Amino acid sequence: MDIKETVIRLSELKGTSGNELSAAQEIHGIFSKYCDRYEIIGTDNYVEYFGEHDENKKLLVLDAHIDEVGMIVTYITDEGFVKVSNLGGIDRRLLPAQPVIIHGKKDIKGVICSVPPHLTSGGTEVLAWDDVSIDTGMTKDELEKYISLGDSVTYDVKCRELIGNRLTGASLDDRCGIASILLALDKLKGKKLKYNVAVVLATQEELGERGAKICAYAVNPDIAIAVDVSFAHAIGEDERKCGKLGKGAMIGISPSLSREISENLKYTAEKNNIPYQIEVMEGLTSTNADRYSVSRNGVKTCTVSIPLRNMHTPVEVIDLKDIELTAELLADFIKED
Amino acid sequence: MKELLRELCLINGVSGDEKAVREVIINKIKDVCNDYRIDNLGNLICFIKGRKSGKKLMICAHMDEVGFIVKYINGDGTLSFGAVGGIDPSVVIGRQVKVGKINGIIGSTAVHNLSKEQREKAPSMDSLYIDIGAENKADAEKYVKLGDCAYFESEFAELGERRIKSKAIDDRAGCAMMIKLMHEELEYDTYFVFNVQEEIGLRGSTVSAFSVNPDFAIVLESTTASDIDGVSGARKVCQLGKGAVVGFMDRSTVYDKGLYNLAFDISEKNNIPCQTKTMVAGGNDSGAIHISRGGVRTIAVSVPCRYLHSPSSVIEMNDLESCYKLVKLMAERIPEL
Repeated sequence: MDIKETVIRLSELKGTSGNELSAAQEIHGIFSKYCDRYEIIGTDNYVEYFGEHDENKKLLVLDAHIDEVGMIVTYITDEGFVKVSNLGGIDRRLLPAQPVIIHGKKDIKGVICSVPPHLTSGGTEVLAWDDVSIDTGMTKDELEKYISLGDSVTYDVKCRELIGNRLTGASLDDRCGIASILLALDKLKGKKLKYNVAVVLATQEELGERGAKICAYAVNPDIAIAVDVSFAHAIGEDERKCGKLGKGAMIGISPSLSREISENLKYTAEKNNIPYQIEVMEGLTSTNADRYSVSRNGVKTCTVSIPLRNMHTPVEVIDLKDIELTAELLADFIKED
Repeated sequence: MKELLRELCLINGVSGDEKAVREVIINKIKDVCNDYRIDNLGNLICFIKGRKSGKKLMICAHMDEVGFIVKYINGDGTLSFGAVGGIDPSVVIGRQVKVGKINGIIGSTAVHNLSKEQREKAPSMDSLYIDIGAENKADAEKYVKLGDCAYFESEFAELGERRIKSKAIDDRAGCAMMIKLMHEELEYDTYFVFNVQEEIGLRGSTVSAFSVNPDFAIVLESTTASDIDGVSGARKVCQLGKGAVVGFMDRSTVYDKGLYNLAFDISEKNNIPCQTKTMVAGGNDSGAIHISRGGVRTIAVSVPCRYLHSPSSVIEMNDLESCYKLVKLMAERIPEL
């Protein structure tokens, strides 16, 4: 599979938390090339079962979330401005004049209103959500034909290539996690596996890992690996708290994770000469791992994270090398020696 | 005019780097000019004979747009830059840019890693950098030189049925009106000047006004409209859909009263929507032109534009048409004053 093409395709799907249906169906379509059995859990969570399952083997879940951060329409003013609130953690500092798409009966393009300099006192204020409005060029009457309260809003941005192996786009968190799982399955085709493998494509991670909570219960795995993104170092970030782009998957170590799985992942990487990084967290991980680890009787859980710059912005940056290295690590972890 | 505007807006031409814009314009106007030349700063000065000769009229617009210039390549391969022209950092953070032909982004510290205070404060321009995907300084130096210009990457999109969104509407809208007017049969001999370096202090028009030495000048521009949600009364300055903007005064010029009255007189007699500005804000090439040599009687006709100097400026096409009709009629009357 062409990993760059896959990441670009996944990044350009639109699916904010709670509005994942079309993205989930599209992603399910890609997984159906690798998995012939699937289940839908709750609202739009997809579980894709990979390969022959053997009742003597443990069930391992590879989890990635489908949803991306975005906004939700809350009101249309008489002048036709669309008021919104956030879905997940959005940096309000970068909202002014940002192009967006409102996903109504049809997609409506708009621009987030920006207050010009003559009306601000020095330009250091950041819009509060109450003051965020979208300008669509349409009147209230025109808008009401196409959009309703509760429709979702995403950044209007294309995924583009930077130099080397790097890409920029929106929603790379966590579509590149999905891409690395796809690539891992591609590597595992026809191979003997240590585990029964299920892939959970979870919804609503950005609202507090809600999809993963019910999937963890329904699928009831023995081991779970949350394949998500984490902070890559860039100017303005603390080097001590970040991974580095291009240096491989970040294996999580945390009191809330299974030290056994962390060590096994490290061992796998070292044995196979796969570059990796360690991400130490002191408590919760803020990924779906937090839900698996305490599901039912408890699940041995770990995080494998792809380093990413500018998280939750329309200009997230990843290195394709990291997706490749993450896929190698996952595949080697699952493959029979 | 929309297609012409689209073509012009999508060309990159930061102040001091207008060549690409100028070349496209020359191609479009060379067959209708009796004479054209490029002066030492890069201004394009054209002369077209009309049916009659009257007093000397100059119509002008500026070719340059706001953008960035690379000032330093950091050790990690990111680029530090200066803003060329007045740009608010909140419309810079989180955007895609082009550095020459190379894709880049202007990122920011992930919102998760900002303190509560930092989240409420717009970033300073100095804290921002361009990421082209380079792994280090040597990698970046293969693609970028100090002094290279960078531009907003922005789609030219239609918003609803009446409006368009693009970068560089300021002042390719003026350029588009001029190009169209130059293809009409003119009543009077007219100089058409496409200026450089407006955004860094009216530099081009200072010298072109001197060399053309006109009796009258009409400056075609785009001006700030802030008729957005939550702004009322005079603070809107001017409004989209209310026609051409002819102000009595801005931060650079007190406009010629005769020409101001003539504009509204023509607009009334010909049913051309026309509005004035309700705040003394902004400025344009008029500031340099009206005090050139012994003084030039000057007026500016502007299209009202939301989110000026951002990658997502928005205008209403009807307003551009109104400006065009008004300027065409003014050009038939002014030389006989």
